[in-house]
Amino acid sequence: MLSRVVLSAAAAAAPSLKNAALLGPGVLQATRIFHTGQPSLAPVPPLPEHGGKVRFGLIPEEFFQFLYPKTGVTASCELQRKILKGPYVLGTGLILYLLSKEIYVITPETFSAISTIGFLVYIVKKYGASVGEFADKLNEQKIAQLEEVKQASIKQIQDAIDMEKSQQALVQKRHYLFDVQRNNIAMALEVTYRERLHRVYREVKNRLDYHISVQNMMRQKEQEHMINWVEKRVVQSISAQQEKETIAKCIADLKLLAKKAQAQPELGRQ
Amino acid sequence: MNENLFASFITPMILGLPLVTLIVLFPSLLFPTSNRLVNNRFVTLQQWMLQLVSKQMMSIHNPKGQTWTLTLMSLILFIGSTNLLGLLPHSFTPTTQLSMNLGMAIPLWAGAVITGFRNKTKTSLAHFLPQGTPTPLIPMLVIIETISLFIQPMALAVRLTANITAGHLLIHLIGGATLALMSISATTALITFIILILLTILEFAVAMIQAYVFTLLVSLYLHDNT
Repeated sequence: MLSRVVLSAAAAAAPSLKNAALLGPGVLQATRIFHTGQPSLAPVPPLPEHGGKVRFGLIPEEFFQFLYPKTGVTASCELQRKILKGPYVLGTGLILYLLSKEIYVITPETFSAISTIGFLVYIVKKYGASVGEFADKLNEQKIAQLEEVKQASIKQIQDAIDMEKSQQALVQKRHYLFDVQRNNIAMALEVTYRERLHRVYREVKNRLDYHISVQNMMRQKEQEHMINWVEKRVVQSISAQQEKETIAKCIADLKLLAKKAQAQPELGRQ
Repeated sequence: MNENLFASFITPMILGLPLVTLIVLFPSLLFPTSNRLVNNRFVTLQQWMLQLVSKQMMSIHNPKGQTWTLTLMSLILFIGSTNLLGLLPHSFTPTTQLSMNLGMAIPLWAGAVITGFRNKTKTSLAHFLPQGTPTPLIPMLVIIETISLFIQPMALAVRLTANITAGHLLIHLIGGATLALMSISATTALITFIILILLTILEFAVAMIQAYVFTLLVSLYLHDNT
């Protein structure tokens, strides 16, 4: 739409651009809206699972059913199913007619036809089922591969969802972590506080001990000093004369004691 | 008998119109295309077989040679299907005609050779002289190599024609022998018939092998030249 407006504006503005009107239909085509109808090709209708049933690989079953009302059946025995014999008689008669009238001529080609067709029928009868199964297996593998991709993708997303949920659950339980940390910090603070208290106690005790030991030492020193002074004085006070008298007295006492000691053992022996 | 023997090799006309065009185009009907992911058994098997053959045949080429994949795969499918369809009774095999095989062989060979000469001139010219030849023999060897190069398309075409034609002729002759012997002695006819069956099995193998050989040789010429 806009391009048409632009075109007309351009044509009005510069008359030499009127040649651009030749581009008009192209532009119109370019602006036409496509794909407005219902999509008729999708979804594709599903294929039938099995083909039509045939006899001898050539003649469809419907032919036999078609001739049933006209030719009837021949029941071989009561227990067996009724076999439709009409088309077989028709077929045999047709073949014999073609052969006898030489409408179909027996040539060398006939024998090659017999051998070729016989060989093909033998191959199909022997390997037909296994080849069919192989084809089915190929298709199944293809689908299984894609299915696996899909399942892997679903599983991945499911795992992501589970992880997200567990993360959210963990977030709910985060307060335990904080409580534990808080407790730890409180204990650490308590320990530090007690340690410091103990240190203070020890320091104070040290100082008091120091004072006590200082006092004790002073007293001891004073005592010693006093004793020494007294001794010195006493020793000084003992004059020489007193010393002689004391020594003479000690000797007299000792003699007395000796006599007593001598008298005593005699008394003892008696 | 002579007329009957070669009757299967004349180009079929119907009411003066060439039927051979339709016969040549017919095998393409047997390879349906399908856009589905999961196909019927026929298409699945064909796709699997084509994948197998193309992997086996085109893996030896570099990317430049692998651009020929479509051509070579169509070639092997065409030759294989026309040969196999020709084994059915009263059918016409286009590959028995030398004209057609020359028409397939010459352009493909020429394409490979000219590509080689355009892109890798020195290597292509070097192919005319094998390694390690004594000096006096060089001129003669170059002539021989040139002849052998130019005989390649002829050989391709004539090989295919001769093999398929010979096979068809043999089948016809032995079939005729069986027919003639049936009125004389049934046992000999039976033996001849068994020979015919064995020959048919051989012809089936030959049909597929010839297709393979043709395509393989073209791919080999391509490999030399890319």
